[in-house]
Amino acid sequence: MRSAEEINFAVEAYADMVRRICFVHLKNRHDTEDVFQNVYMKYMLYEGFFENREHEKAWFAKVTINACTDWLRYLSRRKWVSLEVIAEEKEVLDHTSEELLDVVLKLPEKYRDVIYLYYYEGYSAGEIARILGRKENTIYTWMSRAKDLLREKLGGEWA
Amino acid sequence: MNRIRKSMEKIQATEELKQSTLQYLEKQREKTRRIRLYAARRFVLAAATLFFLVGAGGYSVYRYPVSFISIDVNPSIELSVNRFGRVVSTKAYNEHGMDVIGQVPLKNMSYMQAIVRLLENESYRRFLKEDSYLVFTVISEQSETIVGELSGNALFQSYGAVTYTSDSSCMHEAHQHDMSFGKYRTYLELLKYDESVTVEDCHGMTMGELQDRIDNCTHEGKDDGEKKHHGEHHEKGHGGEK
Repeated sequence: MRSAEEINFAVEAYADMVRRICFVHLKNRHDTEDVFQNVYMKYMLYEGFFENREHEKAWFAKVTINACTDWLRYLSRRKWVSLEVIAEEKEVLDHTSEELLDVVLKLPEKYRDVIYLYYYEGYSAGEIARILGRKENTIYTWMSRAKDLLREKLGGEWA
Repeated sequence: MNRIRKSMEKIQATEELKQSTLQYLEKQREKTRRIRLYAARRFVLAAATLFFLVGAGGYSVYRYPVSFISIDVNPSIELSVNRFGRVVSTKAYNEHGMDVIGQVPLKNMSYMQAIVRLLENESYRRFLKEDSYLVFTVISEQSETIVGELSGNALFQSYGAVTYTSDSSCMHEAHQHDMSFGKYRTYLELLKYDESVTVEDCHGMTMGELQDRIDNCTHEGKDDGEKKHHGEHHEKGHGGEK
């Protein structure tokens, strides 16, 4: 079991990323809190070894995505995210961001992961492939389709 | 900065979420510790119970006798042998016998080792005189094996010992009369020819004396030389077929 110091560090270092991945997957804050705690619980009990901080961060990204998927499957909820989650963040989001995220959150789940990991976390296609356990070519395909969908909704200058 | 990054930057884990998570993890840590401690205790308890049961079970099997060997000359000594061929208990039927088993440790040895040790021991050899009549009586499902081993032993042969087999009902009756089943089997044989003989009469007699009585009854004169030829003689005793 991991020490309190390790957990404190991991909360400070990866909480925002975990929160954002939950945001792109889950319906509301309540679900986010459950999955967020679940991810850190898995970390506390994880006995594996991390080669470095990047490895650890990628582990968090992967575990959070899987936890969100499991959570949604468990609840048998639809995989499309409602605007509720955005409404909850209304205080911190400006109109443009709200509009963009509304479109992003309506993408199929696999595209949301790719878009988030690529555009926000700055992972390469190869790194995303490893996190999601897919072939790199698949990631390129998903990314291309996701971009097409965003372009369709937001116009050519969406990014 | 791309628009997606800019849009998402403000989506952050609140301090409240972080603190509630840390509190949740601390509770879970305690819970996990308690569960592991409980599991460890259960494991230790289960292991100890298993160890005890296997140990006790194994010990019971080890202690349980399945074969019996009565060694009679005068004194009479009985060996109880477990399924592994080890002597698990000894019993003597008079003071001399008690002296012998008090001086010669036989338990936990193989029955052949125990018998050899007994025959070689000075405190027992003093009863093996020229005119002594040494009889081994066996009760066992493997009586043929045991008798075969005894008969093949050089020390056994040198004393001109004889072997018989018997059964548990004979042993039961013998013990009711506080007599070894080997001697009791001989008494029953004598009883066939002399109905006046009693168990009490036999208590004070040596095996040689009992055999003399039998020989007299069957009109087969006995001398030392002939007695030696009784060696390796093997017949069914009381109870007949086992």
